[in-house]
Amino acid sequence: MLRSILSAAALVALGTTAASAHITLENQQAPVGSTYKAVFRVGHGCEGKPTIKVRVQIPEGVIAVKPQPKAGWTLEKIKGKYEKSYDYYGTPTTEGVKEIVWSGGSLADDEYDEFVLRAYLTADLKPDTMLYFPVVQECPDGASERWIEIPAAGKVADDYETPAPGVKLLHKP
Amino acid sequence: MAGQNFSSARRAASHAAAVFVFLLAVFVGTIGSALAHASLTNAAPADGSVLPAAPSALMLSFSEPVSPLVLKLVNPDRSVVVLDRYALRDTTLDIEVPPGLATGTHVLSWRVISEDGHPVGGSVVFSIGAPSRGAPPVADAVTDWSLRTAIWAARTALYVGLFFGVGGAFFLNWLARPSRHGARFIAGALLLGLIATIPALGLQGLDALGLPLGSIMSGTVWRTGYGTSYGATIVIAAAALLAGLLSLISGLFISRALSLIALAGIGLALAASGHASAAHPQWLTRPAVFVHAIGIGFWAGALVPLGLALAARAPGAEPALRRFSRAIPLLLALMVAAGILLAIVQVETPSALLATAYGRVLLVKLALVAALFALAAYNRWRLTTPAEQGNADATRRLARVIAIETLLVLAVLGTAAVWRFTPPPRALALAAAAPAHIHIHTDKAMADLSITPGHVGPVTASIVIMTGDFGPLDAKEVTLVLSNPEAGIEPIRRPAIKPGDGTWRVDGLTIPVGGRWTARIDILVSDFELVKLEETIDIRP
Repeated sequence: MLRSILSAAALVALGTTAASAHITLENQQAPVGSTYKAVFRVGHGCEGKPTIKVRVQIPEGVIAVKPQPKAGWTLEKIKGKYEKSYDYYGTPTTEGVKEIVWSGGSLADDEYDEFVLRAYLTADLKPDTMLYFPVVQECPDGASERWIEIPAAGKVADDYETPAPGVKLLHKP
Repeated sequence: MAGQNFSSARRAASHAAAVFVFLLAVFVGTIGSALAHASLTNAAPADGSVLPAAPSALMLSFSEPVSPLVLKLVNPDRSVVVLDRYALRDTTLDIEVPPGLATGTHVLSWRVISEDGHPVGGSVVFSIGAPSRGAPPVADAVTDWSLRTAIWAARTALYVGLFFGVGGAFFLNWLARPSRHGARFIAGALLLGLIATIPALGLQGLDALGLPLGSIMSGTVWRTGYGTSYGATIVIAAAALLAGLLSLISGLFISRALSLIALAGIGLALAASGHASAAHPQWLTRPAVFVHAIGIGFWAGALVPLGLALAARAPGAEPALRRFSRAIPLLLALMVAAGILLAIVQVETPSALLATAYGRVLLVKLALVAALFALAAYNRWRLTTPAEQGNADATRRLARVIAIETLLVLAVLGTAAVWRFTPPPRALALAAAAPAHIHIHTDKAMADLSITPGHVGPVTASIVIMTGDFGPLDAKEVTLVLSNPEAGIEPIRRPAIKPGDGTWRVDGLTIPVGGRWTARIDILVSDFELVKLEETIDIRP
């Protein structure tokens, strides 16, 4: 009994420290068929090193992506073709931004910052599922943290060491 | 007339040699032809599964029809139950579960014969309730003493036939003429060896299959015995023994040639199988075994006919003794050199002499050989010269000492036959260094992980990755994570490096405890895609 309490306590302690190091999204739920403001919260560097680059992969079904410029950081929008054509207020859309890179800045390990983008969550996305934005955080000397693990069916982000930040999709209002 | 006689004798000799080579080719050919064996395609319960309760039946499916040889269930407490209640339908084997299976890890160990007659074996590990701690149970080694004694006796008899028989036939034909003293003993030894080849083959089959003496009538047992490398030894030995027997009865030139072929046959037979012949480098060990065996044959074979001739004060005894004394130093030197070489290869470190059963057998053999050499030296420097000069007292004593020498040689042969049961330190070290290996296959990727050596201590891990459909997978990074939560060990995480041979490697790992570990291989396929493969791997203590 004591042992299980102790291990549970250890699990909680480990869980919280792990969670605070994660890159997470501020708004954890959003309806499909609407515009979503994604705020990536970066609370740590890579094991003490400052963050010098943040790369966000745009998942399929997310279009019309517009990153918010950030003082001291250079923005790069990597474009490509979508797997299918999406409807954006009546306009069929087949290509657009697939990855956003903020680089050139330096965010110390003991500092906090947010990286923001606005995007349209198409109605093709399935409500009541999680949508994940894989993020790679790069630091000097080749160090990096990859928040890219997408939980398998039946698992949640907490089951992973480096889960991708996710948002729960809701039904169209 | 004489020339004609000579050429016909030579023809016969070359004919005998041809027959010998033919026999050799036949058995080499049959051993080399391994066909496709049956393989296990499905098992219920599946390997590595954990069941809530004891299964109602055990099922094994194979790629082709099989017939079971031995089915055993090793229980968590290491006790073994032989499963003899099973039903065979086509390629599937339904096995009745013994009542009252305990919770914990069980190992279903199976050995079957596929249609091509080759035995195949394997095991399925499953757990009831929860897995037992540590590695899956292994059956306590049960020594079948009656089988061992039979194997030892057959082997010793074969040695007697080869060394006293074939060696004796060579001595009679090349050194003793015209004396025929000891011919009857030599013929007896040859017959004993020839008879011993038959049970030796069956017993070898029994041992290879792990079956008791009672199963000796099974055809598979004999095929298996023949299929092992010892089968080669038996065939060559039988040919040598037969040639030795013929050399005792036939005419002048043929018998000399036959006895020479037979002597070479001793070396070939022993070099064809056994621990020493299996050691590396083979180009060195096999010739060493050959030389060692021929040396023993020459020496041991001479003892009985020489002793009997001297004891009977036969007229040819002194010249024979002279010829033997002239030839033996060189052969003895070669034999001892080859023996020392083999001992070094096999034992590797002096400490293994006392620490291993193989080493202790070697020490006993060396002690006997030392006594033998002491007697031989006494013979040579004290008795040989007066005996050659016809000193009756010296001759009588020489004959007596030779009788003791013969008994000592017999003891040496009996001791050497014990090696059949003691793997040499070289092989033990090799087994200890064998890697632990797993294969993980998922839709996205697959990986082969080898941890070398597969036991506790410093190890190196080697990983080969491929895509799920066997395509090349060029990963950005590969990380190995080893964990053993049961032993209270936090995950050991190491990035793998690319040595440039297409594999990934982790050096400088240390595995602290044995048992069942979880190995996870994280493959970073691209910047945003990570594939994780996980499987358990057993590490020996």
